[in-house]
Amino acid sequence: MSTAIEVSHLRKEFRLKTAIKDISFSVEAGTVFSLLGVNGAGKTTTIRILTGLSRPTAGDAVILGHSISRELDLVKKISNLSPQETSVASNLTVRENLEFIAGIYGMNKAKTEENTNRMIALFSLEEVEKSKAKILSGGWQRKLSIAMALITEPKILYLDEPTLGLDVLARKELWNIIEKIKEQVTIVLTTHYMEEAERLSDRIAVMVSGEIQAVGTPEELKAQTGTDTLEDAFIKIAERGNVVCGH
Amino acid sequence: MRALIFSKRTWKEIMRDPLSYIFCLGFPVVMLFIMTAVNKNIPEEAGMHLFEIQSLAPGIAVFGLSFVMLFACIQVSKDRSTAFLLRLYVSPMKPSDFISGYTLPMLWTAFLQEIITFFVSIMIGFTADVSFQPIRLILCLAALIPAGLLFIGFGLLFGSLLSEKAAPGICSVVISVVCFLGGIWMDVDSLGGTLAKICHVLPFYHAVHAARIVLSGDFGDAGTSIFVLLLYSVLIFLLAAFVLREKIQKDLR
Ligand SMILES: Nc1ncnc2c1ncn2[C@@H]1O[C@H](COP(=O)(O)OP(=O)(O)O)[C@@H](O)[C@H]1O
Ligand SMILES: [Mg+2]
Repeated sequence: MSTAIEVSHLRKEFRLKTAIKDISFSVEAGTVFSLLGVNGAGKTTTIRILTGLSRPTAGDAVILGHSISRELDLVKKISNLSPQETSVASNLTVRENLEFIAGIYGMNKAKTEENTNRMIALFSLEEVEKSKAKILSGGWQRKLSIAMALITEPKILYLDEPTLGLDVLARKELWNIIEKIKEQVTIVLTTHYMEEAERLSDRIAVMVSGEIQAVGTPEELKAQTGTDTLEDAFIKIAERGNVVCGH
Repeated sequence: MRALIFSKRTWKEIMRDPLSYIFCLGFPVVMLFIMTAVNKNIPEEAGMHLFEIQSLAPGIAVFGLSFVMLFACIQVSKDRSTAFLLRLYVSPMKPSDFISGYTLPMLWTAFLQEIITFFVSIMIGFTADVSFQPIRLILCLAALIPAGLLFIGFGLLFGSLLSEKAAPGICSVVISVVCFLGGIWMDVDSLGGTLAKICHVLPFYHAVHAARIVLSGDFGDAGTSIFVLLLYSVLIFLLAAFVLREKIQKDLR
């Protein structure tokens, strides 16, 4: 397996707050990597830096061989993001939203049509295809939002809290979809739901107050902390504060 | 290419908002009828020609453009307030794509608005035995292009600087200023004094004056007004483009 993302000593300071403090991790190609942490842990900030929405104060990340500080244009072409807040064009229909994004990424008409149809099938969007995005429920909007990220054929897909605010059924459905698409793309997702991290991730990084406190497979994290559930492992890791565990 | 695709999306947003029809298209037409009715009640001896259709039409055309400004402003501030822009920020969109992607559909809206305004004016002209010369109408439309750019520039500028909540308020202040100091509803030339000077320093009077004088066929001092107007539109537009670009870059910090 090859390394898709190599993050080294990333740091982000805001005027009054250091949101992430010297984090490093790597993600293997073709796997799902989760940043697990409570609100304010620094997950979104990390994703923003990796996607070029925000510049790091220090450190760098290399995405499939391209540095985010020196080759951002190349990085942007091979990655895409479904933001924490569902971001769809509210007055466009589901199909138009997908076609719009494909166009922005330079796909020609035939390719746009082909990929749009593929996304509509993959995310079962047929019944809402002609509806304006603003009338869709949270679950539909979230599916559209992820489809809009996947339609550009990214090599790396970032999902920031993909099931935040969804009901049980919508969440289960989205998990099934994520399991389906993980065969095509390397996924980095953030979540504060233990069940979600455990079900979807190959590896998990536990983030506490801007630092990564532990990294491993769900089984490794449980073994390291001597606990039976990921939730207990998470609590132990979070309480341990600054003692870094891992390999 | 990206700019065109973004334009298409902005155009769809405009077309699907019922307010666009009311303000950008309906309002100017309604004002044409109201002011024509008002004009019928002004006695001949008053020597008041402002609301006669040849002079009213260009005034309303500029008045309509101020609503295009309102729309540009609301669109930009609304986009900035939603996470939708995040998506475009991670895409290969460049600041110039945003600027042209907002400007082109607004110019097109302005153009359609002018066509409708003049079409209705021609109809009103028929009833009053006033006819418009086609060549002058075309020249007048051309003279309104820098005015259109000026208002779109203001819209982009306010939209970049203001929040979605503050934007409409500031725009209505500008719309009022345009109406009073632009000489749409009153004769600025007969004013004199400081107020007249202010009117002549601001671009709005010149926008209205240039359109009126070109339509009348008496080109007189149209050159000065068009020059002032061009200068303002280029300056405001460059400023708007600069501020929008800065805002986008600041959002990315
Ligand atoms: N633009 C910003 N300016 C100042 N502080 C910020 C900004 N963005 C995030 N933060 C702070 O950084 C910390 C991490 O935020 P975030 O990455 O959004 O956490 P998470 O996504 O894990 O909930 C929080 O304390 C937040 O208040
Ligand atoms: Mg977050």
